[in-house]
Amino acid sequence: MTTEQKLSYYINKSSELIGRTFGKKIRIGILCSFTINGLEETIRVKSAEKNIDCVTYVGGYNQYNQEILNQESNLYKFSPDITFLIIDTRNILEDLFHLPYSVSVSERKNFVEKKLKEIQNLANTFTSRTKSKLVIANFAIPTYSPRGIFETKTEYGFHKMIKDLNHGLIDSFVNSDSIYIYDFNGFVSRYGENNIFDYKQFFFGDMKIALDYIPNLANDLMEYVIGHLGLSKKCIVLDLDNTLWGGIVGEDGFNGIRLGPEPPGNTYLEFQRVLLSLYQRGIILAINSKNNYEDALKVIKEHPYMVLREEHFASMRINWNDKVSNMKEITNELNIGADSIVFFDDDPVNREYMKLNMPQILTVDLPQDPSQYAQTIKKMNEFSVLNITDEDAKRGKMYVEQRKRNDLEQSAPDLESFLKNLELKVLIKHANEFTIPRISQLTLKTNQFNLTTKRYQESDIKKFSEDDKYIVGCVQVEDKFGDSGITGVFIVHKENSKEWFIDTFLLSCRIMGREVEKGMLGYIVNKAKENGVEQIKAQFIPSQKNKPIEDFLPNCGFQKDGDYWLYSLKTQFTIPDYLTVRVE
Amino acid sequence: MSKRLYNLVAKVMSAQLSAINDESGPESIDSWTSFKGYVLLYELETEFKVKFTIDEAMDVKKIADIKRHLKNHGVILDD
Repeated sequence: MTTEQKLSYYINKSSELIGRTFGKKIRIGILCSFTINGLEETIRVKSAEKNIDCVTYVGGYNQYNQEILNQESNLYKFSPDITFLIIDTRNILEDLFHLPYSVSVSERKNFVEKKLKEIQNLANTFTSRTKSKLVIANFAIPTYSPRGIFETKTEYGFHKMIKDLNHGLIDSFVNSDSIYIYDFNGFVSRYGENNIFDYKQFFFGDMKIALDYIPNLANDLMEYVIGHLGLSKKCIVLDLDNTLWGGIVGEDGFNGIRLGPEPPGNTYLEFQRVLLSLYQRGIILAINSKNNYEDALKVIKEHPYMVLREEHFASMRINWNDKVSNMKEITNELNIGADSIVFFDDDPVNREYMKLNMPQILTVDLPQDPSQYAQTIKKMNEFSVLNITDEDAKRGKMYVEQRKRNDLEQSAPDLESFLKNLELKVLIKHANEFTIPRISQLTLKTNQFNLTTKRYQESDIKKFSEDDKYIVGCVQVEDKFGDSGITGVFIVHKENSKEWFIDTFLLSCRIMGREVEKGMLGYIVNKAKENGVEQIKAQFIPSQKNKPIEDFLPNCGFQKDGDYWLYSLKTQFTIPDYLTVRVE
Repeated sequence: MSKRLYNLVAKVMSAQLSAINDESGPESIDSWTSFKGYVLLYELETEFKVKFTIDEAMDVKKIADIKRHLKNHGVILDD
């Protein structure tokens, strides 16, 4: 059994959502070749738990072809943001599901090729007609084979057919920014074929997935929702004693803590390895621990089995201060919202204290048994992203560079000397196949220094960049400590020959406070002047989080005009001399 | 014991407990869809630690039928 709630809980809970409002919105389409009652209710409840207002549409029973091919279908009228397509293996293989060996090897191969083409056509038709992302579930590979143990001795056998379909799906859409493959076969493996498929249910009403496991399936699908809305967590804050290693270093000593290849130290080793893998894909790590700084740092620097070292932590609060105060300092230092943070601490009292004082932080209820730590984090869907860019992979290193910048800032006599010392270089780049994923990602994730908080998917950015009426650009920022990567975005709409409108203007929190925004705006102003434009219009749309950009427009010389701000291009705009701005 | 069954039916069907009796079924409880009917059987299996056959599942038209099948599995619901 699973630790999830029962399906009836979600079904009942979903009826309580009527009339409630939430922060984000999403529209989800579900197309399925079998009956999957309860999935939409569960997804709606799980969305509400994450402050997402989710509206769902479930296509007719086994009507996925019609829903996609008929341009007038209810699916298109519904206009989903994400559509899940789940086809049962027995539906795709038809008679060959039971009788694969009633045809020859070449006929089996041709059949698989034909089916793959059908799915490709269906997927491409759908994405050419909508803005929706399409998530296609791959096919569950049954453990059964009509040939029994001889299956693995059979040329192009039953299992190989399904594996080829699954590989074909991945190969077909690996470069697509709108079609994703969900590893449904992996889901079945995780929970077990005998648990997932309930044949009484199946024969009773073609309900293929056991009711108790619908919530688990919904959990998996929620990862796409989190990724699409840019709600993934950015930072993991860790306790040390009994979290990263066993025992208390202050009491047990450097040699007494449990960390290494032998049990139970191997459980902490495994947990650290999982954390390192998350760091390598862009999750920031930080420490919040009540400890003697020197004792803890000695372990981090010198213990032979520490996987995570000083260079992996963007912020370290190792002291005897209150953990909530430490946490507030960490959010300030890293300049990220508390709702982007996940907190791991073995002590339930610390956890409750954090939950009570900083409820925006996701405080994980770590199990008492450290052998379950690594699994706990692996099961979390809060880190899901639909794209991992080069900037993500470098993020951890960039935050360590930021720590060094902070040290310089503290030693500089004033802000201008600090900025001059940084040797800032701003490189303006235009949207292209390399920068579009990152531009979209920044529009989805940036909250604080964001004028309009408009969220754009990759397909939107691509469309803007192909339209002569738009300028879509980004900035890559470098200083003497390193390259911060692409950290700013602007989208300008050339409304007419006299006026341009700044649709989007944002900077990652990572480079706020370095006046890079003035380099970016200076580029837009100069470009507008070159084109004979008379004024630039901009808008500040207040959100709960974008206060840091509130005064940016008036500070740069924009004048209020109703709901908008106007900048006359007769005004001289000065880019600070400590910024070197270059256009690629 | 009947109350235990009625409570479960009321919970699954999101219906008033007072509206549940042995004659209750899809015709008297609006929310009793075929899907919810199956969810009910699923919950009954867990609650009473029994396994219904597909014939029994197909045969349920009202609560009295559930009682009869539970009785076949050794679960006696006294009033």
